[in-house]
Amino acid sequence: MIGFAALALLAGVLVSLSRQINGRLALSTSAWESSFWNHIVGLGFITLAAVVFGGLFAGAPQDAPWWAYLGGPVGVVFIAAGSWLIARIGAAQTALLIIAGQMISGVVIDIVMGTAGNALARVVGVALILAGMWVARSAKD
Amino acid sequence: MADLAPAPRLLHFAAAFGAGGLLSLMVLFNGTLAVYGSLLFASWVPHLTGTLLAIIILLALRPRRASMVRPPLWAYLGGVSGGVTVMLTSATVNTALALSGTIALGLAGQMLFSLFADIRGLFGLPQRMPKPRDYLALALIIAGSLVLIFLGGAT
Repeated sequence: MIGFAALALLAGVLVSLSRQINGRLALSTSAWESSFWNHIVGLGFITLAAVVFGGLFAGAPQDAPWWAYLGGPVGVVFIAAGSWLIARIGAAQTALLIIAGQMISGVVIDIVMGTAGNALARVVGVALILAGMWVARSAKD
Repeated sequence: MADLAPAPRLLHFAAAFGAGGLLSLMVLFNGTLAVYGSLLFASWVPHLTGTLLAIIILLALRPRRASMVRPPLWAYLGGVSGGVTVMLTSATVNTALALSGTIALGLAGQMLFSLFADIRGLFGLPQRMPKPRDYLALALIIAGSLVLIFLGGAT
């Protein structure tokens, strides 16, 4: 259990690490080019993993709804945005504001999709996040 | 001490917040793909389609390189770190940690390493010392996220 917790923590570290490395690449090239390299290098790495572990086409991926295949294009913009932001507002602000956007849009998506959830917790959680964004925004220096 | 990055402006705020919204869509799309296919497939496909779209964008916009100096080779390896992330989370999501614990610990790891990187100015990025106000914002946003993750039924 502790071992898995450490792995989950490490996964978060790697998200930040990846954004920093892509941000460094964007400093020399451009945000779009860093997003391109992130995707093509990641594609090579995952292809290699698929060759080693196998099972890439397991299950019935052809039965997935068409919109489930749209994650890639969205990811290109997401990685480019992260690379652009991290050099301008720092790793911590970038991560924090992305988390805020992810959490609040997650609540909106859950409500739109009709996912069951605790309304009070949603209101409290969103209010805390908005308050945190207001505090971060009002810092002037 | 190196020069400090300026405080974020409204454009940066909007861009980062919007990027978080894109991340939610990615989680929804890729997560749905993983319901039907393997976890590797749900990461392989978006990297493939993403590579194709990135090539189209590069051909259409032809963004200039910011510097004539070549970036260090390691700067091209961000995608490897992203690929390992997928494998780690797919390993932990089916344990007692579940999705909520995996996400919560992931947020913690992300914030701790981001703060460390800012304070040290790692990887040639601008050094930035967080102020008390930044820690207050951090505490509020993480508290709100934990409420949503563990009590809100939100992922």
